[in-house]
Amino acid sequence: MSKFLKALSLGTLIATLPLLAATAHAGDAEKGEKVFKKCTACHAVGEGAKNKVGPELNEVFGRTAGSLEDYKYSKAMIDAGSGGLVWDETTLTTYLTKPKDMVKGTKMAFAGLKKQEDLENVIAYLATFSSAAAPADQQSAAEPAAEETETASADTAVEAPAVPVSETRDGGVFGLGRAATEDEVAAWDIDIRPDGTGLPEGSGTVADGEVLFTENCAVCHGDFGEGVGRWPVLAGGQDTLTEERPEKTIGSYWPYLSTVYDYVRRAMPYGNARSLSDDDVYALTAYLLYLNDLVEDEDFELSKDNFQEIRLPNEENFIADDRAEEPHYAAKAEPCMSDCKDSAVEITMRARILDVTPGSVDDDEASGMGGVD
Amino acid sequence: MTDKTISKTPGLSRRSLLKAGFAAGAVAGTAGAARAAGDPLITEIQDWNRYLGDGVQARPYGVPSEFEAHVVRRDVEWLTASTESSVNFTPLHELDGIITPNGLCFERHHGGIADINPADHRLMINGLVDTPLVFTMEDLKRFPRENRVYFLECAANSGMEWRGSQLNGCQYTHGMVHCVMYTGVPLKLILEEAGLKTNGKWVMPEGADASAMTRSIPIEKALDDCLVAFKMNGEALRPEQGYPLRLVVPGWEGNMWVKWLRRIEVGDEPWHQREETSKYTDLLENGKARRFTWVMDPKSVITSPSPQAPISHGKGPMVISGVAWSGNGRIKRVDVSLDGGRNWKTARLDGPSLSKAMHRFYLDIDWDGSDMLLQSRAMDEHGFFQPTKNELRAARGENSIYHNNGIQTWHVKADGMVENVEVS
Repeated sequence: MSKFLKALSLGTLIATLPLLAATAHAGDAEKGEKVFKKCTACHAVGEGAKNKVGPELNEVFGRTAGSLEDYKYSKAMIDAGSGGLVWDETTLTTYLTKPKDMVKGTKMAFAGLKKQEDLENVIAYLATFSSAAAPADQQSAAEPAAEETETASADTAVEAPAVPVSETRDGGVFGLGRAATEDEVAAWDIDIRPDGTGLPEGSGTVADGEVLFTENCAVCHGDFGEGVGRWPVLAGGQDTLTEERPEKTIGSYWPYLSTVYDYVRRAMPYGNARSLSDDDVYALTAYLLYLNDLVEDEDFELSKDNFQEIRLPNEENFIADDRAEEPHYAAKAEPCMSDCKDSAVEITMRARILDVTPGSVDDDEASGMGGVD
Repeated sequence: MTDKTISKTPGLSRRSLLKAGFAAGAVAGTAGAARAAGDPLITEIQDWNRYLGDGVQARPYGVPSEFEAHVVRRDVEWLTASTESSVNFTPLHELDGIITPNGLCFERHHGGIADINPADHRLMINGLVDTPLVFTMEDLKRFPRENRVYFLECAANSGMEWRGSQLNGCQYTHGMVHCVMYTGVPLKLILEEAGLKTNGKWVMPEGADASAMTRSIPIEKALDDCLVAFKMNGEALRPEQGYPLRLVVPGWEGNMWVKWLRRIEVGDEPWHQREETSKYTDLLENGKARRFTWVMDPKSVITSPSPQAPISHGKGPMVISGVAWSGNGRIKRVDVSLDGGRNWKTARLDGPSLSKAMHRFYLDIDWDGSDMLLQSRAMDEHGFFQPTKNELRAARGENSIYHNNGIQTWHVKADGMVENVEVS
């Protein structure tokens, strides 16, 4: 925390103490830390927290909405701040219940927290990083402590899952496990294959997809799938695979459209997986085709019925693993042991020329080439 | 009496040893009174020699000495957009032997570390089986189990070095690998428990994490040596390694070793999931891309000396130490060159030699203090040799990202400092 904030908070702390004292007990900061994992893809809080996709959340209590100077907010959020929105327990509760209802046009893709206790807990957690919201345990340590312990133990009793009983069944070799119900299999088996196996009923249009994409995906992938920072580029890059810097996108590289549907449905939006309906995923898939110029009509509707008609352009360019046929492997010859090179060996490249090793002098600015995927 | 005579004297009594100790103590005592000459660490009594240390249970789960605090996994911030879908690296330069300590095994996540109570964990087997089944962790621990030591290498290990030497340290160039002993149930037993249908040719493991990781694996591999593991190095899997359950796919790329394993589907065709189409496929210079490049090729690296582990002692006797591994089986031989690949000597393999596990090699040399261009070259039991980086580039171009097992060169300078270089 900066000295300025510390000095500032002393004044506000006294003013807000009575008000917060009554409510700050509602949530459990420790449990809130777990809930906050839903947010960490975009937000950081705590020592050294920096802006990520979303603004850092230190001292968020008492902060005017849209007011961090080094973060690029949506216009909607800046307007809300100008209109007098200041973050506190009440406003955060409303916002985190359904962000887009409170601030129409916010960049935050997160749909909202459904459970009241998650809301209370995560707000209690954030409060521990805000001097304007005095942590509950520092206000009146003695009196509510007993009460808290009681609640905590009651909660644990409810939450602790009973250890499942392991029984044997008829059939099988060992008779271990139990038969899965149809509903259980349906809940987890959501994979789609290139032959269309697994596609659910439903449909969605390019136009619908554009709205969904702007709300849920553009914050990382960019409005046109161009990718923000190091987040994946989804569109463009056609005819770049043989260039020095190939751009591997859905349109330029991915072999099958089924993979797009499958992946968006199982893992996107990042940090809020499984929150899209089957129709939403059809619409987003249609929009990704549109961004890649693979369909041109905004009214185009992708559905289970026409899904198989779409082929991605790079499908034919995938080949089997033939590493063993490469000259250095195929020969399997005993390698040379002495006088293997005609002249003295010379150094042709040094890591130091472009030192991007963490911990090297200016690694803050250094950015190397390539990646892990 | 010298150390040598003590160790060589058979039947030396405890009494005579005590006497010898007493005599030595008396000498030190006399010298101490007259201010001893020599290393004060020896001539002066140290705190740890006088005062009591911590008792048992000071650290119920033991941790390394505070003097080893620098031996940690490290990441490269510019590599990825967020830490939840990112990677860090094993500090290979600080380790010896063939086993990686659990807390130092590199991490690679696609949706952060899933936090799962084992009582809440389920493993489902479905698809082309007679009876789709659900197992609890308790159920799985009632199957016959095995212990196996395997290396796990990310297919992208050394992926940042395709265009040339870039990172100074084997932690960064080669640290997406670890080797531990797994305890688990052969996948074969679990699949057979559900009853495999004859048209079941592929399996697809799936993770319970926020990326719901999936990969297609041919049934031959699934029935051969895959394990459904719940322990590593004798204790429960670490959360970042898939607690409470992960798949072990020996010798094959790390991405297939699905963590937080919750489901295995049996099918007649591969699924072509995201991590086997848009990722983990190897783009070649001609624009074609190899897919299903599962096996990790023979590879080795000298871990010391290396850029993070320079030579501090000057010329004279020293140990060149490194690791080698191959997804094809055992390492048969490792050659080391001191002159950038002109001349090679066969190194000494030490420690257990296990199939698809890390191997430790040493070359004991008398360093003359001049520059060295150190290289190591592994050969596996099937006769596959580690290629040079330029041989790989000639065959594939520079955009493959994955499966870079080219020979690494370290430039050791006269002052003992080491740099990552490439040579003619």
